[in-house]
Amino acid sequence: MMKISPAFVAKVLCAFIREELHKFGFSKGIVGLSGGLDSSVCAALAARALGGKNVLGMILPYRDTFGRDVEDARALARKLGIRTRLIDIAPMVDAYFSRTPTDNRVRIGNKMARERMSILYDHSVLEKALILGTSNKTELLIGYGTIHGDMACAINPLGDLYKTQVRALGAHLRLPARILRKTPTAGLWLGQTDEGEIGIGYPEIDAILYELVDERRSVQEVIASGFKKEAVKKLERMIVSSEFKRKMPPIAKISSRTVGHDFLYSYDRNR
Amino acid sequence: MKIALAQISPHLGDTGKNLDLHLRTIEKARRRKAGLIVFPELSLTGYTLMDLVPEVALKPGKAPLFRKLAAWSRTIDIVLGFVEERGTGLFYNSAAYLSGGRIVHIHRKAFLPTGGMFEEAKFFAPGKSFRTFGTSFGRVGLLVCRDFLSYGAAYALFAGGADFVIIISAAPGRGTIADDAFVTSHMWELMGEAISYFSTAFVVYCNRAGFEDGKVFAGGSFIFGPDGRRLVKAPEAEEDLLITDLRLDGIRAARKKWTFRRDDRPEVILHSLQRIVGNDED
Repeated sequence: MMKISPAFVAKVLCAFIREELHKFGFSKGIVGLSGGLDSSVCAALAARALGGKNVLGMILPYRDTFGRDVEDARALARKLGIRTRLIDIAPMVDAYFSRTPTDNRVRIGNKMARERMSILYDHSVLEKALILGTSNKTELLIGYGTIHGDMACAINPLGDLYKTQVRALGAHLRLPARILRKTPTAGLWLGQTDEGEIGIGYPEIDAILYELVDERRSVQEVIASGFKKEAVKKLERMIVSSEFKRKMPPIAKISSRTVGHDFLYSYDRNR
Repeated sequence: MKIALAQISPHLGDTGKNLDLHLRTIEKARRRKAGLIVFPELSLTGYTLMDLVPEVALKPGKAPLFRKLAAWSRTIDIVLGFVEERGTGLFYNSAAYLSGGRIVHIHRKAFLPTGGMFEEAKFFAPGKSFRTFGTSFGRVGLLVCRDFLSYGAAYALFAGGADFVIIISAAPGRGTIADDAFVTSHMWELMGEAISYFSTAFVVYCNRAGFEDGKVFAGGSFIFGPDGRRLVKAPEAEEDLLITDLRLDGIRAARKKWTFRRDDRPEVILHSLQRIVGNDED
């Protein structure tokens, strides 16, 4: 079922954030704040789990391209009582592209996402804090994120929640209405929207993904149950073609015991 | 009789830290006059062990850690979970019942979940039997987690005269509904209700809490009485020490009302099973 109990999910995710950080000897978390829904929900959970003073919201705009988003991020941080730091990524991104000019929006967007990642990880050391990821299940499944960019994190509390479930959680956490109503965007360029790119709305995207992934129904079965044929096929293609973003890179196996093949330990071992 | 359910979150791969956690919890239960304390599956080691299995394995007869726990069992009976090494290099996901300073019984998990998120059969050898044994509270049968979802396992304990079916578990929560529990927690309780009612026995289920690699152990430990009624339930997905006073005369009361125990015919079941097992078609 797509419906969640937001109070229960919030309790579990707060415990997850707290325990995972503590196991690795950290008490502080960093969230890249875009002013959008996912990062706002993640910050709100982190503030509840760790206390506001233990959360740093990094606001990393490219000049003033997304002006209102910066304001929204700041307002949210004030409401949550978390610290913020604002760094304009334009000088770094512009310096790079001044040497290799392009008008390819994907290259520019990816570069921005990875510049933000680089700054977040630098602050991870500076602040002795771990980075909390904000990729939701919808994005992870359709590959809607920049590998080693916005997908990079130490732990991801939101990765098993569809976008519509994140919105329900956001409402439970009493996020500002402006943020709850916001049109989902990867923020690669101005005016980009996820739904515009994919061609169908999030409720329908999530419903189809739920059928394909959680219920393990075939493409034919999902189409037969009344969803648009083109949309189902497109989402299935997106899931398959983005598999590489969800996995560690394959390692060529030579020895009898190999990292990634049969050197089998948990992330949390001896913690 | 007072029973304690220790819904703990063990440290993954650190038997020393887990021994301390056990001793601290046992002390708390003892101070509150519990006669039996039940820990979850693999409570001495943590669950997601994989290649750590040989590194944390214990020989109960020899390990100093077991001698310490056995010493504590002079004042309180203890059920716990650990990786057992038998002979040399055979590893089991085992449950031990300690009482009066010694190991009274060891059950080796027979149903090793392997598939989806589970891969126990890659790392453990399967146990082969379900047996009951005597304690000062009555006859007890032990099961480990997935064992309990095969109702034949609980039947074997019923046929063996169990007054208590004790399940130790490391069950991750899966599936949320518009309710403050995981879907899978309802599954465990469904079996608990059915088995307690039709066995006219207590069903004691102790699950763990905490996280391992993002898996959420769902907690929600419970006890059903011999009349099929749920007596207590620990909170979902958080640590807890739940102590409950049980009325042992409830067993006799339930069996006066329902004669399932008297009416059982294990020889008929066995005969039917032999025919099925003897059929060597694929």
